[in-house]
Amino acid sequence: MSPTSGADRPERIRERTYVGIDVRGALGLTGTMLAYLSLSALIPLACAIGYREPIWPFVGAGAIAGAVGLGLQRLGRRSPGPIGFREGYLVVSLTWLLAAAYAALPYLLSDERQVSRPVDAFFEGMSGFSTTGATVIVDVEALDRSLLLWRQLSQWLGGMGIIVLALAVLPRLRIGGRQMFESELPGPEVHQLAERIRDTARRLWLLYIALTLVLFGLLLVIGLTGLDDRMDPFQAIAHALTTMPLGGFSSDARSLELFAPVTQWVVALFMAIAGVNFALLYLALVRRRPRAVARDEEARLYGAMLLIGSAVVCAELIHAGVFAGEEALRQAVFQVTSLMTGTGFATTNYVSWPTVSIMAMIGLMFVGASAGSPTGSVKIVRHLLVGRILRRELRQTIHPELVQPIRLNGRTVDERTLRAVLAFVLLYIGIFIIGAILLAIDSRFSSVELGMTEAIAASAGTLGNVGPALGFAGPMGSYAPFSDFSKVVMASLMWIGRLEVLPVLVLLTRNYWRV
Amino acid sequence: MHTFRDAGARKGYPPARMRIVIVGAGQVGSTIVEALHGDHDLTVIDVVRERLEPLAYRYDVGTIEANGASRRALRDAGVGDADLFIACTSRDEVNLVACSFARVEAPHATSVIRTSNVEYIDLWREGRLDVDFAVSSELETAHAVSRSIGIPAARQTDVFAGGQVQIVEFDVPEGADPAVIDLPLREAKLPEDSRVFGIIRDDTLTLPRGSETIRPGDRIVVIGSPTAARAWGSLLSPEEAAVKDVVVFGGGQVGTAIARLLAAQDIGVRLIEPDRDRARAVAEELPECRVYNATGVDVDFLERELIGRAQAAVFAIKDDAENHYAATLARVYGVRFTIAVVHDTISTKVYEQSGVDVTVNPRGVTAEEIVRFAHDPRTQQVAMLEGDRYEVLDMITKPTSEYVGLKFRDMPIRGAMIGAIVRDGKAIFPRSDDVLQAGDRVIVFTETKRVPDVERVL
Repeated sequence: MSPTSGADRPERIRERTYVGIDVRGALGLTGTMLAYLSLSALIPLACAIGYREPIWPFVGAGAIAGAVGLGLQRLGRRSPGPIGFREGYLVVSLTWLLAAAYAALPYLLSDERQVSRPVDAFFEGMSGFSTTGATVIVDVEALDRSLLLWRQLSQWLGGMGIIVLALAVLPRLRIGGRQMFESELPGPEVHQLAERIRDTARRLWLLYIALTLVLFGLLLVIGLTGLDDRMDPFQAIAHALTTMPLGGFSSDARSLELFAPVTQWVVALFMAIAGVNFALLYLALVRRRPRAVARDEEARLYGAMLLIGSAVVCAELIHAGVFAGEEALRQAVFQVTSLMTGTGFATTNYVSWPTVSIMAMIGLMFVGASAGSPTGSVKIVRHLLVGRILRRELRQTIHPELVQPIRLNGRTVDERTLRAVLAFVLLYIGIFIIGAILLAIDSRFSSVELGMTEAIAASAGTLGNVGPALGFAGPMGSYAPFSDFSKVVMASLMWIGRLEVLPVLVLLTRNYWRV
Repeated sequence: MHTFRDAGARKGYPPARMRIVIVGAGQVGSTIVEALHGDHDLTVIDVVRERLEPLAYRYDVGTIEANGASRRALRDAGVGDADLFIACTSRDEVNLVACSFARVEAPHATSVIRTSNVEYIDLWREGRLDVDFAVSSELETAHAVSRSIGIPAARQTDVFAGGQVQIVEFDVPEGADPAVIDLPLREAKLPEDSRVFGIIRDDTLTLPRGSETIRPGDRIVVIGSPTAARAWGSLLSPEEAAVKDVVVFGGGQVGTAIARLLAAQDIGVRLIEPDRDRARAVAEELPECRVYNATGVDVDFLERELIGRAQAAVFAIKDDAENHYAATLARVYGVRFTIAVVHDTISTKVYEQSGVDVTVNPRGVTAEEIVRFAHDPRTQQVAMLEGDRYEVLDMITKPTSEYVGLKFRDMPIRGAMIGAIVRDGKAIFPRSDDVLQAGDRVIVFTETKRVPDVERVL
């Protein structure tokens, strides 16, 4: 009798598994996303046909993206099972990288010389989908209208999120989608508008489309009634497409500087609206419960920050004699709203503004708008929670046994979420510092003159998906003078910033890939 | 011992005995049996024989060892003939199920349940729970604690006529205001809208006449408006300020209910709970209270948080011994006013021995509340003052009463006193030349043995 009993050892021992995630399945899903996204080339294609401009940049881009997408999808067919929680991070991160590459294709395929180099085109594409608004194009007006529309459209598509869009329109993804939805939609917690993720995604996108149309209508009326003779229908659609996603690409080289004050006020208003949590906007505008916004603690702090920022800047502008009267107020409100929400429009070249205003500008890049809006940066709710965590720490220094749950809108916030918020803020600051240092070091090796303020502003502006920095990369300038290495660094910052740091960073850990 | 009138009285029948079925022979059940057994036919159902036996030996009641949540057991117990059904086990679900079956078996019986869940109480108030009366131990305890904190010197407070009339028992301390002490009552400056119902001295109650005096060491029973009751409180303990800062020890269901009620009265509450998860849960539930995760016997903690300077401390720790130690320790650290929730009947004496000012027994207050309901509906509330020797009756004057039309000064005293009348929904504290009218709701203070007399004449 053998001392061991039971079933015999199986004939074949399975080979050791090294890779813990289903890469094939993730690539397949990414391919599906890209294939559907390639359909968006039809819109600038129609525009090109209408304006009798070259059509093949869009035909080519659509064809390449479609083919790559379908190829990847085919690859995923042999994946063993449904896409899980872990693969979600890879799908989200890859989808955004490929989307930026896809956005770059029409620039490369056109004979536009300002974006003919791959690095420039990729930078512009990432800046588009991530709704940053940083540009390497100096002379915007030289672009074909169809290419210009593509540039604006990429921001509009990226604003509410590619995956949220995919969840809303795709027939069926092989995943629940909640986790990817959460990693793409900004903020620590996602408001559910419906029982099913798909319905929530649909409602968000419909609201987004409706608000874009309203803004387009208003700008059109302003143009047609002669209140602003620069605002032709093309400018109206172009600016509506980049205001709602808090993007910041303008079809005018001087951004909104040359437009009439009424246009600037309307755009400022819509930037402020787009910075509110879309779930709250949905409650207020669709369900007719405007008090939902007024009662929300994040929305209130957001409003307060806008007011305080504008007041400080306005006071200094008047005091320093830069502007006076309505203009001082308008310039302060517009610039503060634009930078805080991460849009990046400008109505003046604020690079030469006095010190406090410049500091306020850089500071506001770290504030961001509300979670659940297309903004970038840290976001108001995280500032609110960090403030409460710090207040609790101070209280617990005096009363060590005190148990104090942290509340947001009367509901307690999970301690795990609070830890994630702290981790996010620390990682965000760390990455911002690394970015600024890399830019500064790189400027030593290239012929770019980059001061400390400019390096800080460029890192904060791209990581926060704001757009313009200071100096030559200011609101009326461009990022063209940066070296290729710096452009890659900044494109990465935009990518990391848009996906809120964690989905990208987990890909860099060994544990993510291993069993 | 209490006397209770029958359910038939409400329909105009002569007083008769009621058949009452009680599910649950724990402390609440036993207290109810003790109060009701003399005048009614009781059947007690419980799953534990050891709980039933003492009741069967001591009182003349029927006992059935069975599950009260079983329809067959209820049928065997004769629920079909019951006039009143009381489900008072410590488990809410058993009480609810038992009551549902009783409703089916005896559609006309009045039903009472005990529950610890405030949600069930709310459901009952909304009329969505098919029971006639629901009582929560936690809520009753919290009210009792809150009443005694509202009026610091009060031993016990009872509320009548929707809060318009309060009956409060005070210990008269040394150093009470000389305006009321050692003076004949008719010369003393008593707060308006109040009367001294009774003076308890050397364990005997006297219904005071105008010549009587209040002395330190007496226990007095006062009836009056809430304002008057507060005025009495400050007259008898003038150095005590309004309580604004209370520490609650123990964050169980009782402690939480107390903290919530006190916080709702704008009192700053600090709650101490040793279990980390429970402390967190309480802190989430009560944002307006400060919750500490500590034991009540951690000396460093007590010193650091200046617990000794709290105006009052409530002890609601589940274990009587621990609770008692915490209360004594708090007194050592200088808490002047201590209120303890007790669980064992004998603990009351232990707490009093060690100087705890007020004790509240959750099961006692629950039983009292249920007995009140079992009482003649004309007598809407019964306060069990001083154990069981005195009773406050709350009843409607019959048109045939020999007292109707008489002035109060002309009423013969028969060991009872009318303290307040409620006429057209308003409380009146009668003077000697006011006249009693038919249909007046009167609140009468009397010795228990005179209850039948009082009921007859009114």
